[in-house]
Amino acid sequence: MSGLDVDTIAAVATPPGMGGVSIVRISGPAAAGIGRLLCGAPLKPRLAAYRSFRDGGGDVLDEGVALFFRAPRSFTGEDVLELQGHGGPVVVQRVLEACLDAGARMARPGEFSERAFLNGKLDLAQAEAVADLIGAASVSATRAALRSLTGSFSRRVDDLAGDMLGLRVFVEAVIDFPEEELDLLGDGKVKERIRQLHAELATLLAQCRDGALLNQGIRVAITGAPNVGKSSLLNVLSGQDAAIVTDVPGTTRDLLKVDLVLEGLPVTLVDTAGLRDTEDPVEGEGVRRARAEAGRADLVLVVCDVRNMRHASFETEAAGQIPTIVVANKADLGDFETGRIHESETAVCVSAKTGAGIGALIERVKAVVGFHDQEEGFTARTRHVQALREALSALDHALVLGSDGSPSELIAEELRVAHDALGSITGTVTTDDLLGEIFSTFCVGK
Amino acid sequence: MRHPQHYDVIVIGGGHAGTEAAHASARFGARTLLLTQSVETLGQMSCNPAIGGIGKSHLVREIDALGGVMGKAADRAGIQFRVLNAAKGAAVRATRAQVDRVLYRNAVRAFIEAKSGLDVFQQSAVDLIVKGGCVAGVKTQAGIDFSAPAVVLATGTFLGGRIHIGMDNQPGGRAGDAQSNALAERLRALPFSVGRLKTGTPPRIDGNTVDFSVMDVQPGDDPLPSMSFLPEPHPRQVPCHITHTNERTHAIIESGLDRSPLYSGAIEGTGPRYCPSIEDKVVRFAERTEHQVFVEPEGLETSELYPNGISTSLPFDVQVELVRSIRGFERAHITRPGYAIEYDFFDPRDLHHSLETRTVGGLFFAGQINGTTGYEEAAAQGLLAGLNAARLVGGSEPWCPGRAEAYLGVLVDDLVNLGANEPYRMFTSRAEFRLRLREDNADARLTAKGRELGLVNDARWTRFDAKRLLIEEIRARLAGVRLHPDHVGGRRFEQVFGEKLSRDTTLLETLKRPAVEIGRLVEFAGFPFTVTERDDYGAALAQLETDVKYEGYIKRQDEEIARIRRHENMVLSSELDYRCIDGLSSELRLKLTETQPKTLARAARIPGMTPAALSVLLVYSRKLDASG
Repeated sequence: MSGLDVDTIAAVATPPGMGGVSIVRISGPAAAGIGRLLCGAPLKPRLAAYRSFRDGGGDVLDEGVALFFRAPRSFTGEDVLELQGHGGPVVVQRVLEACLDAGARMARPGEFSERAFLNGKLDLAQAEAVADLIGAASVSATRAALRSLTGSFSRRVDDLAGDMLGLRVFVEAVIDFPEEELDLLGDGKVKERIRQLHAELATLLAQCRDGALLNQGIRVAITGAPNVGKSSLLNVLSGQDAAIVTDVPGTTRDLLKVDLVLEGLPVTLVDTAGLRDTEDPVEGEGVRRARAEAGRADLVLVVCDVRNMRHASFETEAAGQIPTIVVANKADLGDFETGRIHESETAVCVSAKTGAGIGALIERVKAVVGFHDQEEGFTARTRHVQALREALSALDHALVLGSDGSPSELIAEELRVAHDALGSITGTVTTDDLLGEIFSTFCVGK
Repeated sequence: MRHPQHYDVIVIGGGHAGTEAAHASARFGARTLLLTQSVETLGQMSCNPAIGGIGKSHLVREIDALGGVMGKAADRAGIQFRVLNAAKGAAVRATRAQVDRVLYRNAVRAFIEAKSGLDVFQQSAVDLIVKGGCVAGVKTQAGIDFSAPAVVLATGTFLGGRIHIGMDNQPGGRAGDAQSNALAERLRALPFSVGRLKTGTPPRIDGNTVDFSVMDVQPGDDPLPSMSFLPEPHPRQVPCHITHTNERTHAIIESGLDRSPLYSGAIEGTGPRYCPSIEDKVVRFAERTEHQVFVEPEGLETSELYPNGISTSLPFDVQVELVRSIRGFERAHITRPGYAIEYDFFDPRDLHHSLETRTVGGLFFAGQINGTTGYEEAAAQGLLAGLNAARLVGGSEPWCPGRAEAYLGVLVDDLVNLGANEPYRMFTSRAEFRLRLREDNADARLTAKGRELGLVNDARWTRFDAKRLLIEEIRARLAGVRLHPDHVGGRRFEQVFGEKLSRDTTLLETLKRPAVEIGRLVEFAGFPFTVTERDDYGAALAQLETDVKYEGYIKRQDEEIARIRRHENMVLSSELDYRCIDGLSSELRLKLTETQPKTLARAARIPGMTPAALSVLLVYSRKLDASG
């Protein structure tokens, strides 16, 4: 085994909310044991078995086909278990959680492929693809995961990590500089700060589990000149009559938001008021908000009329640093394949009326935001939730230690573990970073 | 002329790195020469008169467990011992000794002179003899050539040293000693990257002109701690004192800043942030109205004092004024001015973990020359460099302890990987596996290894083995007593300790509970005199108690350590072009391009690194390997 880790990983292998069968895949030395635990009896390699999947308490979560592959004759080259069930997203999540409870760890994006590659199960050509996948995944999945939760999720994790650093700076400074007059905060304050962090972390985690922070996804702003069919496009993408659609320019005066999942990619579509200079103060306000909204989005769809694409390049420029796709609408009114705006911009031609070209548009959206694998956003999210859970459990211990008179080096150790768990989301914090903070915060040293 | 004696290892420098290197090399059995500018200054402490302290005492215990000199010399010379962090846990607990400089120097010289196979020679080294990319010997000032296939360079701040007092500066090694310019020139010509660092000392003060009655007294600990596993008798003990700077002191400093080499730009080297000069403290932490000054005796036979906390390179007239503004120092006479010293160091990233240079075979660097500060850090490197030089000559693989094994490992790994942006000092927070790297278990961690490496003599080994067996015996006795909640023993246990037993358990298992203290537990168990009357009984109990209580943490870390070990074996292709890896954030791409990590373990320690980014690196690297 030459991979990063030798533990057992699990993930949902099918795109969420798609199709009737969902697969939870487990790879690693504990796969056989997890199979036995969930399915009630040992599984024979390479033999499909219809079983009930049960959690640790014996409750039936789902029923379906269990498949077991013995290493090295499997996709990853390790023991692999596949649980194919019929339940919806919630049930699949529970099956996955049962696997995690039974000793598996949430897979990183692309980790199954990575293991397959590292175990010599993929040839170089395939490896190329895996590398690209994982490559895209690490940045885009982090982004995607953060998007699959809300923007406030990432901000709150950052804040938590910041508070954690601040607390550790104090705890470590008191340990490494015992003769300095640092103890202004006192032990009670340390406990208080741990309790605070614990409470914030617990709240965040509960909200993640409740789904309160889920599904906002990436923000896609639809902009363009009046009456080019922005609202119609929104309707066809969301499959509902959400926006008022008329032929009168400036109909959409307010922002209109729809949350939807485009082939696995969670998206918040924001329709904005038609951009034009206007005397009407209400509409003017709408335009101002439209520009602001476009500035906040992760992706801007600049919609134009396929017969008149003058405005498109101007709007593209206006969008600035944000990735932009030009959508040439009303393709049904002409015989256009792909419209060319200027050299670097190629528009996607669609007809919001007939639905033509919408599939191609969705593909383009996914490509632009780097969403290569439908699974990744969701596995990454689960992974983040698991990291929060680890951090919370370390803080649990720290609180107990703080009240049973245990030495502060043990509290420091739990804080290190918690910080490392948060660091797996926000990026590693090294001992050097920590010392740097100590030196800039306190006047230490003789 | 050529010296008739051929040596296996030559050590240049008689400071803490050099003496420890020479002694380790000779312990290993290599024919060793210690070349020093002055035999009188072997083991000289050029900065503060103390050994040990947080993180540093851990290094001393490790050096000691491997048969080194520093711990025993500190015991012989220590005139005030304190255990710091006593209540914060066994792993961060640290012993510190205030040391009589003369006694310390004498002790080190005695250990060096007593070592068979180790010769001392007083001459400045002026050149290295390098043949075919490997070191072959050393040339001295008087034109004497010594030949040896391995050389340890431990020249401290003597390379390109420049001393600053106010706006005056002059070349010098440490106040009063010459610097080694010829050698510095020669080394600058070799392909090492050279950097510049700075450190400083406070003015020294005549204790006869000081009023101690207005200062806080800080006595040593009772019972008196020791540094060495085989303690040496301590001399007479004396207290330290504490006083403070005040707002007038700070005003005096501010008025002198225009003549400070630090603030006028005359000093280009980087000083340590954790050991700031008093002018630095006053400028950077302007809101503080006072700073502590630890008044440390320089020795038993001298009245000279080391006022720790007011290191400065301000002009002498400002030094006099600022010292006399401090409570108790109103009539103080300065015996030696404070000064800052700038010196050359070699980027330690050019070293292997064995401390051998990458560019010249057989040439090892140890101590301040590698960008570290502190006697203990120097001695630790000296021991490793001396040992590995001797092993190289003997045809053995180097010994490079890991980060989870010893502070020695943390020290070298940090240096070799991160380099030194400021003088590197050990802190316990540098060790991510701090809980297992304790002062009290340094013997358990390293003595057997030291024995295997040929560094540990019979006396130490016998004593260690006895302690080890004693711990095993106590452990077995505690594991042999079973308690049942419904039986007499169990009920008595619940009464004595106020702890509920929920099931059948052993006394050893109850020791995991925070409230069960081993002293009371062995009393409860009633051990025979053959056990309790042993010399090392107390130390054995303490070690066992922490081992048992920390077992859960150690186990949890085991997984982390195993993962790091695997990552250490994963070599990243040197052809990786990080700028072209899409999957990395631009910040990481930049850091990776700068750092060029050799292994995945190293990459994992880059700030901002994530597990996903590590996957990317590994896959890209393997892809390159496979296609190359």
